[in-house]
Amino acid sequence: MAERSAFLKDIRTALDASSAGERSASQFPAVFSQPDVSGTIAEINSRSAEDQQALLARFQESGTEIRLQVHCAADSAAAAAIIADIARDAEPEFGTDKQIIQHAGRECAALNLAELLAGEEMTVHSVVPGDPDARDKTEASFIGITVADWGIAESATVVQITEPGKARSTSLVPSIHIALLPIERLLADLSELQALLQNQPPASSYVLISGPSKTGDIESHIVYGAHGPKDMHVVVITGRKSV
Amino acid sequence: MKAPDAPDYRQGARLGLASKSLQKNLKTLQNRFGRGAFKEWSAPADPGQRERVKQRRMDILEHLDAVLALLADRVEENGGRVFFAKTAEEAVKYCVEVARQGDVKTIVKGKSMVSAEIGVDAALHREGIEVLETDLGEYIVQLREEAPSHIVAPSVHLNRRQVGRLFTEKLGIPYSEDPPTLTMAARKALRTKMLTADMGISGCNIACAETGRIGLVSNEGNIRMSTTMPRIHVALMGIERVEATLAGQLETLQLLIKAATQQKLSGYVSFTGGPRQSGDIDGPEEFHLVLIDNGRSKILADPEFREVLACLRCGACLNVCPVYGRIGGHAYNATYSGPVGAVLTPLLYGVNRHADLCKGESLCGACLDVCPVNNDLPRMLLALRYKLAYGDERWQTRPHKPFEAFTFKLWRLAVSNALIYRLLCKGLSILQQPFIKENGMITRGIGPAGEWTRDRDLPPLARRPFSKRWRQRKEGKSAQRRDEVKHG
Repeated sequence: MAERSAFLKDIRTALDASSAGERSASQFPAVFSQPDVSGTIAEINSRSAEDQQALLARFQESGTEIRLQVHCAADSAAAAAIIADIARDAEPEFGTDKQIIQHAGRECAALNLAELLAGEEMTVHSVVPGDPDARDKTEASFIGITVADWGIAESATVVQITEPGKARSTSLVPSIHIALLPIERLLADLSELQALLQNQPPASSYVLISGPSKTGDIESHIVYGAHGPKDMHVVVITGRKSV
Repeated sequence: MKAPDAPDYRQGARLGLASKSLQKNLKTLQNRFGRGAFKEWSAPADPGQRERVKQRRMDILEHLDAVLALLADRVEENGGRVFFAKTAEEAVKYCVEVARQGDVKTIVKGKSMVSAEIGVDAALHREGIEVLETDLGEYIVQLREEAPSHIVAPSVHLNRRQVGRLFTEKLGIPYSEDPPTLTMAARKALRTKMLTADMGISGCNIACAETGRIGLVSNEGNIRMSTTMPRIHVALMGIERVEATLAGQLETLQLLIKAATQQKLSGYVSFTGGPRQSGDIDGPEEFHLVLIDNGRSKILADPEFREVLACLRCGACLNVCPVYGRIGGHAYNATYSGPVGAVLTPLLYGVNRHADLCKGESLCGACLDVCPVNNDLPRMLLALRYKLAYGDERWQTRPHKPFEAFTFKLWRLAVSNALIYRLLCKGLSILQQPFIKENGMITRGIGPAGEWTRDRDLPPLARRPFSKRWRQRKEGKSAQRRDEVKHG
């Protein structure tokens, strides 16, 4: 604590505010004031099905710029079929067998992937909170399936809030990342996300993911798959049959 | 890289100018990201954003002690530990102590400028700890035992053949000059390290006091790896890299990304600020936030330079600077290069020691135009020059070149007295005759003039001085007018 007070005192001295004693955030409401987001929240809540379709179109368009592959599925069964095809076509990058790790929770459970892929020599793991083997399973998997808390149309971003069962490594360590995104969770832009996050206690960790991992460090030549996934798919669950 | 050796800016600049790959790559980089940033600002989606962020950054600096106190409280509430490091040495000592206590053998780093500023790697090496950079560009320069030459693109001075030879030598792969092949080789080599390292060290792009979460930006995913997989995460941050609210943090991160790479968002923008929560299967078991002053409160105290602490470290000023664009980052011989480095490096490491930097920049103003937070770097460069010319107590500068100052004093005398000025010009125009070559220029001067003519020609004084021509012209005109009046 002594280090802390001396450290902060030096800053106060630099600011010519040393006489005042330790200053706290509550003394400066203007600096820490939160923007009023009620209008933004109301707008998010009042979105019609057409509005959501428009956001989806924008999400898809932004996705093409960053090599994000966006698929639409009417329901979980359709989503599962898309994922199964990806799993069949792709080859494991590290190791030889095909293992898949998915987030816990109803969206992933509803895919019934294990059943769908039964007899195809593929193993489907789920992230079980507290499972001591979860890390090994993640490292052994070539596909990670996650559930997005929100999607941002403007930048083709999926937002993931860490919780037990929704691990950080699922979207990071496997070579292919597939995110499930229910259409009603689509937001227009970053300010809408900020409005929603502002109204809840901060999670221990959260991440905004836009497309596959990439680098341009060798002569500005863009290469996908630097350290994270080489390929990223978003399967939007639209809740209705596509036309 | 801590307290760099007495730098030879001129020699570094000459090396940069002579390097073909540097010239080519810097041109590509500037054409793409420099022009890209100007294009971004020419039609902004939110025209008031840059000014708004700047105002807020200055407001945060004004209340920095209160903002940092809240940040520290929130991180501690979340189970993290906060260390207040007054100096680079204290910060390094703390990192070493954390590594020792955690029985750390291998450390993976996610790109952090401040880690280079404090020189933490060398101290960890001395402990027998393996320290690996994971950003591809940083990894390449680390393998070459070089310093990064750009804030965002550390290996911009190298071409693919140099990287190919390096990887053949260090990673034992067959020679290739194909960027995807080389990237995959690094991916493979670093993956095992990132999955098995005991500790990860990251920087902090912008922290948020209210949520107690630091924000980290990357495209490669290496920063997420380094902050998720090892059991200890140490985040290093300069005290100025903080916002008060989540809204401020998100907006500033977005502006940083726009200025740096013109992406809508980087591939990964991650937020973290504590150890894993119960039930989580990944994330670190220990989280340490090291708040580093290391000369920043001194900058904060000087109203002339406080503004430089609003810097987002986007690298945009490097991407437009005509000087950086020719000489490259190594010439600056410091962690921070380019226009922002020319201001920051002297302020952090000593104005006398890095006297060349502020004098090398051209003051063309491109860095001010492109800066996302409108930092007036040209003004600060001039302020540094002033301190070097006349001496300054706060920054402990002594008059840098007394002879030059004396010459300018004489010059002031000459130009403020018409007779002396005319005599001086006359004298010089006679003295210069033997030096004028066939092209009508002075190509080799003597004494201090030799410095000028080493790299370019000096135009000689005009045969008929301007003052004479002007007088004759005026006399001619009035004579003409008199004639007109007479005949009109």
